Amino acid sequence: MTTILATNILTPLGRTTVENYEAVRAGKSALAVAPARAGLPLRHCAAAFSGQQWAEMAVEGLTRFESLALRSLQDALSRTAVAPSSGRTVLILSTTKGNVEELGPEPARDGAYGAPGEAARKIAARLGMRTTPIVVCNACISGVTAQVLADRLLSAGEYDSALVCGADTLSDFVLAGFHSLKALSPLPCRPFDWERNGLNLGEGAATMILGRKGETDAWTLRASALTNDAYHVSAPAPDGEGVRRAIVRTMEGEDPGTLATIAVHGTATLFNDQMESKAIERAGLSDVPVSSYKAVFGHTLGAAGLIESILAMQAAQDGVVLGAKGFEASGVSGKINISSQERRTDKTAVLKIISGFGGCNAALLYGRRPSAPAASGKEASLRVTARVQISPQGLWVNGERCGLRQEGAALLTEIYKTCLDDNPKFYKMDLFSRVAYLASALLLREEKEVEEMPFILFNRSSSVLADRHHLRSCNGPEGFFPSPSVFVYTLPNVVMGDLAVHYGLKGETTLLILPEKDEALMERITGSVFTQTGARMMLTGWADAADETCFEADMKIIQINQ
Amino acid sequence: MEALIEELKKQIIEALNLEELTPEDIDADAPLFGDGLGLDSIDALELIVILDKKYGIRLSSPAEGKEIFKNVRSIAEYVQKARKK
Repeated sequence: MTTILATNILTPLGRTTVENYEAVRAGKSALAVAPARAGLPLRHCAAAFSGQQWAEMAVEGLTRFESLALRSLQDALSRTAVAPSSGRTVLILSTTKGNVEELGPEPARDGAYGAPGEAARKIAARLGMRTTPIVVCNACISGVTAQVLADRLLSAGEYDSALVCGADTLSDFVLAGFHSLKALSPLPCRPFDWERNGLNLGEGAATMILGRKGETDAWTLRASALTNDAYHVSAPAPDGEGVRRAIVRTMEGEDPGTLATIAVHGTATLFNDQMESKAIERAGLSDVPVSSYKAVFGHTLGAAGLIESILAMQAAQDGVVLGAKGFEASGVSGKINISSQERRTDKTAVLKIISGFGGCNAALLYGRRPSAPAASGKEASLRVTARVQISPQGLWVNGERCGLRQEGAALLTEIYKTCLDDNPKFYKMDLFSRVAYLASALLLREEKEVEEMPFILFNRSSSVLADRHHLRSCNGPEGFFPSPSVFVYTLPNVVMGDLAVHYGLKGETTLLILPEKDEALMERITGSVFTQTGARMMLTGWADAADETCFEADMKIIQINQ
Repeated sequence: MEALIEELKKQIIEALNLEELTPEDIDADAPLFGDGLGLDSIDALELIVILDKKYGIRLSSPAEGKEIFKNVRSIAEYVQKARKK
C-alpha cells in the first residue's frame, strides 16, 4: 500500500501546500493578462511567478526549471524522515518540457540546456541521492503517470520511498505552441462554463513523498488505470470513452459513495471539458462534486496532475470541496455536479482524472482508509518474442539484418515505403517519432491481441529535434509563425498516440526519459508493470534521436511465460 | 485564379508534408477534409498558418475557416478577395 508521507505545492500563490490551499479558499487566482512583446508577439493570459519570486527560488548552478523542482522537493522532504541518500529512494520527475527555455534553434545558441534526464540527475545530486532518476514525459497526464509508476515500483519492492515531483516553467516555447493550436484564451479561463473559449498556461511545481508504510490515517494510492483513446493525437474522443474506461477500472470494487470529489482536468477548451463531462456521466459519477483548478493556477502541464490531486486531498481532509473558479453556467452536455461555491463534505476519498496529447488518460483513486496490503507480486518469468532494431546503418528484425539500400534518415523513408506504406502521417513526424514509429509498427502489425497491451517507451533526448524545429518556426525569416504540426511532436509521447490510433492500442501508453540507456532499470520498471497490472504482454524498448545522424531504436514484444 | 490554385496546392503539399502527392494529384474541387484528401484538425490549423504567413490573412479559429477550407478552389477565391500581401 503506497502512502503519501508529505506534499508540497509551489506556485505563484504560495510556497507550501497549506499556503496554496488557503489562497484558493480565499478565492485568489494567479492568472494575469500579459501584453505582447518582442519574441512573443502575443497578448495572453497566464499564471507566472514574479521576478522577485524567481529571484528568491534561484539556486546557484541550476536553471529556473531545476531550481523550481528542487525547491518543491526540499520543502516536502523537510516534512518527513525519508532519507534521499538511501539507495532505496528514487526520484521520479514529471515534466513536459523541462529545460526547454534554455534550448536554442540550433545547438550553438543553447543556454544551460540539459536533457530532462540530465536535469533530473542534477536535482537528485543536490539532494544527495544515489539512485538513477526517472523522468515521466507523458504530456498533460505526466504528473499522474509519475504517481502510478512510483506506486508500482514501491509495491513491487524495488524501492522503499519515491520522491515524485512535477514541474514546468512558463516558456515562450509552449505559449507559442498552444497559440498555434488556437487553444489559448486571452482572458482568465472558464472551465465547464458555457462561455469558455480556451486554456491559460501556468507554471509551478508540486511534490509527493511516497513510501511503502505510513500512519494509519495517511492518504494512500488505492487504485489507478491508464488508457489510450486510440482516436486522435491532439483531440480527445468526444464521448470520453478513454477516460470512462480509466475511471471504471480504477473504481472496480470501490464504493463511489465514499468520494468527496473528482479532481478533473478541466482545461476550459471546448473539447476537453465536454469530453470529461460525458466520461463522468457515463461512469455513473454525475452526483460526485467536481473540483476544477485551472482558473486558479492555469495549466501547469507536468505539475498539474500533482498540484490538483494534492489540493483536492488537502481540502477533503479539511471537510471541504473547493469552489470551481471561473464557472457560472454549464456549457457541457454531460451531467456533472459542479459549483463555484465552496461546499462541505464528510467523505474521505478523492478521484483524479486527467487526459493529454497522444490520446492518453489516467485515473487515480486516493483514500484514507487502510486498504488490504497488495501482494508484492511474484517475479514474472518473461521472454522476448519479437524484436526490431534500427540504426542509421540498417534494420534488424529478430536479429537478422534486412537488405535495404539507404542509410541515415533516408533509410527510414525506405523502411516505411518497403515495409509499411499505409499511414502517410509518417511524413509529418520528426526524426525521433519516425524511428520510434517504424520499430513499433513493424512489431505491432504482426501481433493480434494488442488492444489492452501496455506500451512503455524509453528515451534520452526527448523530442529535442522537433523542439529546435518549433523554435525556428517561431523565429523564421518571415516572422512569428509557429507550426501546429511541428508543435505536437514536441511532446515525445505523441508518436505513441499515432501508433495507438493506427493499431487500436487502448491500454497504457507511457513515455519515460532516462539519463542514459539503462537496461537494468528499464527491466525493473517493465517488470513492475507485469507484476502490478496483470498484463500478459507488452510493447517496450528504447528509441532516441539526438541529432540528424544519430538515432536508434530497439523495440521488443515481451510476454509472460505461460 | 488558376495560377493561385497551383500556388496553393504547392504550399499545402509542402506545409502539410503530403510527400506522396504532386499538385496534379489534388483536384481543386475535391473536399480537403474527410473523404477527399483526408486532412485532419491539425492540418486545418496549419492552413490557417499558410493564410497568415503567405497572404496576411488572420483567422482566429478553425470554425471560421470551415467554408473557406472546403477545397482548394474555395481557398483561392477567399485569398483573392481578402489577401493583404
